[in-house]
Amino acid sequence: MRKSLMLAACTAALALSGCSKINGDEDRSAEVVNTEYPEQVFWGDTHLHTDNSIDAFGFGNRLDAENALRFARGEEVTATKGSKARLSRPLDFLVIADHSDAMGATKAIMEAPRFALLANKFLLRWHDMMNESDEGSMRVTAELIDGAAKGTLPASLTDPEESRERTADLWKKHGATVDQYNEPGKFTAFMGFEYTSMPDGDNLHRVVMFRDSPDKMGDTIPYGALGSQDPEKLWAYMAAYEQKTGGKVLAIPHNSNVSNGRMFAMNKFDGSPIDAAYVKTRALREPIVEVTQIKGDSETHPFLSPNDEFANFGVAGWDKCNLSCTRDMAPETYAGSYAREALKRGLELTLAIGANPFKFGMIGSTDSHTSLATADENNFFGKHSGNEANNSARGLDPQNLGTREGRFGWHYLASGYAAVWATSNTREAIFDAMMRREVYATTGPRMQVRFFGGFDFSADDTADLVKAGYTKGVPMGGDLTGGDGEAPKFLISALMDPESASLDRIQVIKGWVDATGKSQEKVYNVSWSDAGTRKLGADGKLSPVPNTVDLAKGTWDNATGAPELVTFWQDPDFDAAQNAFYYVRVLEIPTPTWPVYDAMKFNLKLPDDVIKIQQERAYSSPIWYTPKA
Amino acid sequence: MLRKFLKEPLVHFLGGALLVFAFFWATGSNRDPAEYTISIDETDIERLKAGWVQNFRRAPTQAELDALIDQEIAEEIYYREALRLGLDKNDPVIRRRLFTKMRFVDGEDSAIPEPTDALLQQWMDENPGKYALPSLYDFEQIYLGQISVADARDRIDQLNDGTPPSAFAQPLSRPGALARASSAEIGRQFGDRFAEQLEKLEPGVWSGPVISGFGAHAVRISAKVPGQKADLADVRQQVVNDWRATRLAKQKEEALAAYRTQYEVTVAGRP
Repeated sequence: MRKSLMLAACTAALALSGCSKINGDEDRSAEVVNTEYPEQVFWGDTHLHTDNSIDAFGFGNRLDAENALRFARGEEVTATKGSKARLSRPLDFLVIADHSDAMGATKAIMEAPRFALLANKFLLRWHDMMNESDEGSMRVTAELIDGAAKGTLPASLTDPEESRERTADLWKKHGATVDQYNEPGKFTAFMGFEYTSMPDGDNLHRVVMFRDSPDKMGDTIPYGALGSQDPEKLWAYMAAYEQKTGGKVLAIPHNSNVSNGRMFAMNKFDGSPIDAAYVKTRALREPIVEVTQIKGDSETHPFLSPNDEFANFGVAGWDKCNLSCTRDMAPETYAGSYAREALKRGLELTLAIGANPFKFGMIGSTDSHTSLATADENNFFGKHSGNEANNSARGLDPQNLGTREGRFGWHYLASGYAAVWATSNTREAIFDAMMRREVYATTGPRMQVRFFGGFDFSADDTADLVKAGYTKGVPMGGDLTGGDGEAPKFLISALMDPESASLDRIQVIKGWVDATGKSQEKVYNVSWSDAGTRKLGADGKLSPVPNTVDLAKGTWDNATGAPELVTFWQDPDFDAAQNAFYYVRVLEIPTPTWPVYDAMKFNLKLPDDVIKIQQERAYSSPIWYTPKA
Repeated sequence: MLRKFLKEPLVHFLGGALLVFAFFWATGSNRDPAEYTISIDETDIERLKAGWVQNFRRAPTQAELDALIDQEIAEEIYYREALRLGLDKNDPVIRRRLFTKMRFVDGEDSAIPEPTDALLQQWMDENPGKYALPSLYDFEQIYLGQISVADARDRIDQLNDGTPPSAFAQPLSRPGALARASSAEIGRQFGDRFAEQLEKLEPGVWSGPVISGFGAHAVRISAKVPGQKADLADVRQQVVNDWRATRLAKQKEEALAAYRTQYEVTVAGRP
């Protein structure tokens, strides 16, 4: 009885939100011309929540997918808490990734006629709390997240069959909106969702994105973690989708920093050791990962990379406990929570099993729950609608939703975006670039990063780097093998975001497996600003770039760094017998963090422990070297 | 969807309630003519039966149906008495609930039709700035580096006096020349600040410095195609989206405005 009531309530509420949509026109992608090489970098967010996500709505978000798409395309919208919101520069693509579990449910519970819920005391209580006040709504959301983590949600929310009709209805409408805003060549809107596996509060979420238009999806609807928490079941769903429709779909593991070591674990979900089938499937289904977002940065951690003085970015507040803060995370678990270590594990597994499950490219995305894909420090709309730009206390407030402890507003990063080198701004071209990992992550600024590897480059090739890169080598995300024992060479360039800060340096991060079978890492400084006065020390370290941040004004001096850095680099420590990967990290000069702009705007005094100055950055996808068999 | 919604028993019920409210608002008489009349008709009974079946998977017995009807009557009486006692007043849950319902009813009553081309054209004409095709530029640029404006001016003067660009050009992986480039395209390559400055440059000579985030540039525009009105066909999708979004917002505003004219509203501190 309870179940059918829930369904009735949700159906009625969906009817309330229904409105006519105009169908997308015929396929216009035929008109878009693809360039010979991926000549342009396209900027997007693959991880954005709207009011269809149970938590986003519960946090108070009242902006729907259409508002999210309009905002990403550069239109001004009114944010949930009433302020006008606009991106200074539009994005090129967007994946709205609402939680598949109980998609649209909080909206439905709140909007359902109270009558329809009278027999369900559990949902009725939530209904009343949500309608009563914002605080009540937040409490419901906290209970939801907590309930999901502990597996104590009522059957009416967790039964996939029960919610199927509601989800199918919602998914169809969502598809119509997405199509309406997808304009090949100008702006790409992808179909996607977030699979929210969270065993005991450990974050194993994946964003799932489709290459296909909604009308090609048939009766496929988003797959929920309530169906199974085991990512292998998600991959099976993806395979079934592709088989049934001839379509294509990929999954993006994200936010591995709060996975309690499980995102890149050395065993399967059930604890058994990784086998060849698992490796093959994972590598196929998960070609890229989200390495930076609002909930911190997952590149690496000072515990894992003690010799990397830039390893502490975006780890404060996020390395204490898992997503729901139901478990403390010991440093011994960090290895499975950070991308660099995962890339190293991937090399070790390659040797042990013959294939690499963690052979991924890297992107950033926001994971914003405000429907607003903001990643700029001076225009940050926060993680959720209680944290929007007009909340003067948001930087210093504790974020103790439910059982969350120990995190404060300022721990959130205004990060990040996904950069994709593609041949056109279309679903097909961008998706395919992700499959070949020709992508990189940034913490918000739109710097342009090129990274090519090969054995035939010379230093002169930096003059026409792109052409040489594609004709004589492979781009980021690619593979190198052979080379007759000679060390691989790399062409690297980084151009500053003309609307942001100039560049401090380019680094190459190398991981390899040594003769004893243990993986190692090393950070090389390969190009930097003011090279005339800044020299490498004997230890390979470089003096820091001067800090020019004026905290009272929120400004810095771009003359300190370089507008562009271009270099040729060859691995000085190469051993042709050792598996290795190389990726590029680009650092901006120091700039203020978003709480500094809040402090200016609201006349706040920030405590000493608030991080006020940072060096924003980009992470390229790796290039892998494999010795000849 | 609308039809499905109209079948909802609750909608009938609320519709009735709204009529009661509407009557009070419209007449200001504070008196409902049907104040003490309750009639349970066939439709109501069918609704009650359907609700029972949905819950218990069988039809109600006559005794059960009678109990349902009595319950309905009791509910209606309490509902009306509650209104008379003003229990709905100052209850934030009820207020917000009715607000949401009204918003929905207003929105749904005037569903947005498929826009005709004539309508879209009219919309474009009313918003000329939004759909103008941007000016297109053919230009060359030389990156002079992070130097002072005075130094940059000096170099630009020398360029115009015949000094070759190679004397000053600093390396930067941006195109040295662009043809038929829109301001959006120029903004992608050089930043918006750079793109905005092209408008006021004199064509045919090296001018500037044009300042971008990278530093100073010398720019020579060889041709400019002024911005013009877009054809509907070029921007149709955007126009449809904008028209729809605006139409929806306007509908809400108009509904509120229509109610609002009937109220005298004073706000402390507002003139």
